[in-house]
Amino acid sequence: MSTAHVSGGTGLAAALQYFGRFGVDEALIRTALAAALARGGDRADVYFQHRVAHSLGLEDGAVNRAWSGIELGVGIRVLRGDQTGYGYTEDLTPESVRQAALTAAAIADGPSRERPIPQLVATAIPQRYPAKTPWDQVAAATRLPLLQRVQERAFAADPRVQKVTVHFSDEEGAVLMVDSDGRVAFDTQPMTLIHLSCMAEENGRRESNGGNIAGRAGLEFYNDAKLDKLVREAVDRTTILFEAGQPPAGEMPVVLGAGSSGILLHEAIGHGLEADFNRKGVSIYADKLGKPIAAPFVTVVDDATNEGARGAINIDDEGNAAGVTTLIHDGVLQTYLHDSISARHYGVQPTGNGRRESFRHAPLPRMRSTYMLPGPHTPEEIIASVDRGIYCGNFANGQVQIGAGDFTFYVKNGWLIEGGKLTRPIKDVNLIGNGPKVLEQIDMVGNDLKIDDGGWTCGKDGQSVPVSQGMPTTRVRAMTVGGRG
Amino acid sequence: MLEIAEQVVERARIHGAQQAAAGAYQVREVSVQWRDGAVEKLTEATTRGVGVELYVDGRYASVSTSDLRPDALDTFVGDAIAMTRALAPDPFRALPDPQLYRGQSDVDLQLADPNYGALTAVARRELAQQLEAAARDTPDGARILSATTSVSDSQSRSWRVHSDGFVGQKVGTSYWLGAEVSVQDADGRRPEDACYAGARWRGDVPDPQGIGAEATRRTLSRLGSRKPESGQVTLVVDARAAGRVVSSLLGGLSAAGWQQKRSFLEGKLGAQIGNALLDVTDDPLVVRGLGSRRFDGEGMAAREMALFAAGVLKNGLVDTYYGKKLQMAPTTGRLSNLRWRLGAKGREALLRDVGDGIFVTGFLGGNANGTTGDFSWGIQGFAIRAGQLAEPIGEANISGNHLTLWPALLAVGDDPYRYSALRTPTLVFGGVNVAGR
Repeated sequence: MSTAHVSGGTGLAAALQYFGRFGVDEALIRTALAAALARGGDRADVYFQHRVAHSLGLEDGAVNRAWSGIELGVGIRVLRGDQTGYGYTEDLTPESVRQAALTAAAIADGPSRERPIPQLVATAIPQRYPAKTPWDQVAAATRLPLLQRVQERAFAADPRVQKVTVHFSDEEGAVLMVDSDGRVAFDTQPMTLIHLSCMAEENGRRESNGGNIAGRAGLEFYNDAKLDKLVREAVDRTTILFEAGQPPAGEMPVVLGAGSSGILLHEAIGHGLEADFNRKGVSIYADKLGKPIAAPFVTVVDDATNEGARGAINIDDEGNAAGVTTLIHDGVLQTYLHDSISARHYGVQPTGNGRRESFRHAPLPRMRSTYMLPGPHTPEEIIASVDRGIYCGNFANGQVQIGAGDFTFYVKNGWLIEGGKLTRPIKDVNLIGNGPKVLEQIDMVGNDLKIDDGGWTCGKDGQSVPVSQGMPTTRVRAMTVGGRG
Repeated sequence: MLEIAEQVVERARIHGAQQAAAGAYQVREVSVQWRDGAVEKLTEATTRGVGVELYVDGRYASVSTSDLRPDALDTFVGDAIAMTRALAPDPFRALPDPQLYRGQSDVDLQLADPNYGALTAVARRELAQQLEAAARDTPDGARILSATTSVSDSQSRSWRVHSDGFVGQKVGTSYWLGAEVSVQDADGRRPEDACYAGARWRGDVPDPQGIGAEATRRTLSRLGSRKPESGQVTLVVDARAAGRVVSSLLGGLSAAGWQQKRSFLEGKLGAQIGNALLDVTDDPLVVRGLGSRRFDGEGMAAREMALFAAGVLKNGLVDTYYGKKLQMAPTTGRLSNLRWRLGAKGREALLRDVGDGIFVTGFLGGNANGTTGDFSWGIQGFAIRAGQLAEPIGEANISGNHLTLWPALLAVGDDPYRYSALRTPTLVFGGVNVAGR
């Protein structure tokens, strides 16, 4: 909470004002870039990052634990063709930064080419998550009542709720990117998340479940309506488990509820379209650009622009503009998700999908907020169309094999559909399918798109980045449901 | 860095903490990723930071920073203590009983290769190249779409300083080699598989030839995989893959889960959880072990601890905090290396005994409910027919509950997987629900 708040501005002056207190100035940036290109690399960039995160925990009735972390450092990347050299350091003294840059430079093994770094010019970027009340201006004591309020409401919501834990976290940070063409990008990046877990007891049985909401925002993110919805969903998802059973095992129609079912897109197609996998020829989608891969009413986008969304970005972690990327338009595969390396490889514009966990990692093509646009059907007619199948309500996690195309997602709560009606609740079941096959088998899409506001995190190559996902109610003709019997 | 940990504890006391425990670390990591005849990515860095647990007026917080400039550190500690004072008090927070620091083993664990640093950049590239050459050295090489290999090594040093006098230092090294191979299947799929191996000492890492060849063998064996039929089957889980099932079981050992009543093993100390074949001990003192240590994350001296003996739950993972809440003696909050009571048979003999079933070589996604013990995971592997591996299977799930799975443990192999601290052997379970066609 010592972070001095730097007001507004996205230009070089604002960036150097923010990072200047850590010893970063134009001379240091130029030292780093010159060292990075000392062995003849094609291009280089530096990524300075400062991030202050706090979290609070409520357990057994009291907000009695806190964590905080300060991250400060720089990552230096050198590119030669498709090849990457990467070094980083937490020590921002000129000698340490120069050493990290020389390490990255070793991807190339030639002599230095005479190439001065041009004048540094800041890129203008949109403001998709201006925090009205930034976290560095919020005292710890102001955050505590939020957690207490959530706990009180959770206990009040149902007498079977016996234990409640609440985790609250917020993050304030800034990144400064400068590349060897003199392009500068500076962005301040807030984030917040609240997670409620409930344990309920009924007739000696215990069940637990939870829910969370997240966004790129300051304290203004939270209001009564949001917290009430969080509590209602978490408590309902817990207590319904007492009635829930296992679905039968095997192939059956699957209806995906609006919202977090976007996890299907994330796993079934999103990862497979990340251009690094295609550049290497290892994705099942590697030769499908321009081809129809889904019904004509299926349009899928990866969107950086949803204001305040967890997956929103003003600019990607290579300093490239980030907008709306249409992956599937009317059923036809349009583009991959590109970072700079893959965009050069394919001779296209980057799509603003170059993202990284922190300065300790080189960027990779990653998703932002991935969702399907609304379709022609109503959610009611979709459910009514299924004689025997399952309805998926909310999810814990998913995974995919990029090349074989098999992907899974874990359904925490759902319903059995019998005779066109939701009949019995189900729980804890993994679903597995094959990406291209499942896309072909999406045969109904609802008109009720919802972008989920949960705290989704995507992992790839050991790097975690925040993402969002969304979906209208959708029917898949058949998937393998991991039930019993 | 030891001085930084000491300074942080000292500053914490000056700012008003009654107790503090600081941990500082410095890790050097180097990795080479190689793909299809050239270096794909080189990464090299030394990372460092410090964290401190603060006990202030009966309140607790844990904070960390990578900004080690002296004035920044002082502000960091001061701010953290101010934040801690805003919290509700917690009577169960304290450093461990100093008695538990005593009795550290004097075994030389050999966790650091004395020749760390001798591996040159050129040697790393050669290893990466040899891994790829081995992966491609097969009559079916034309099917290979891409081979990516990796060579990485690290040296980590950490220092721990407590305000009650505990001081500890750890140094460890590790070396890993890996190969990932993608091949073209007839129907457009591009199955991938991989092989990784590593060790604390460079001389203990197997030859790149075996690793590269194994990655290709595994991948080629995936060609033409199909969904199995749904039903109840005998499941043989490969030693390499069994960590998924075992770590889900061990998740139930956490004292935090017991105290919060979110664990299917809560209240079951002394109860029969599996049959007599389930016999597992946590052994922190394995020489060159991947999970070995002389003291744990709280400074408590590391000791061997039975987890399951003949199927009976013997101990949980009890740290100081949840130990106090539960009025139980602390053991340790974190596992080190597992030691299994091994069976007498290897994989081939186990498959022969099983006759018909499914051999699981990998898991894909899925999860478990830690409160009830229910699990549901995606699997891939092979059908077992007449005691032999038959056609590859995939796009299937298994589902069940730990409390019925482990009583149905039919056999434990003689083959602990060396490249994980869990050291899981091949495991055979009866009557597991498989969902496929």
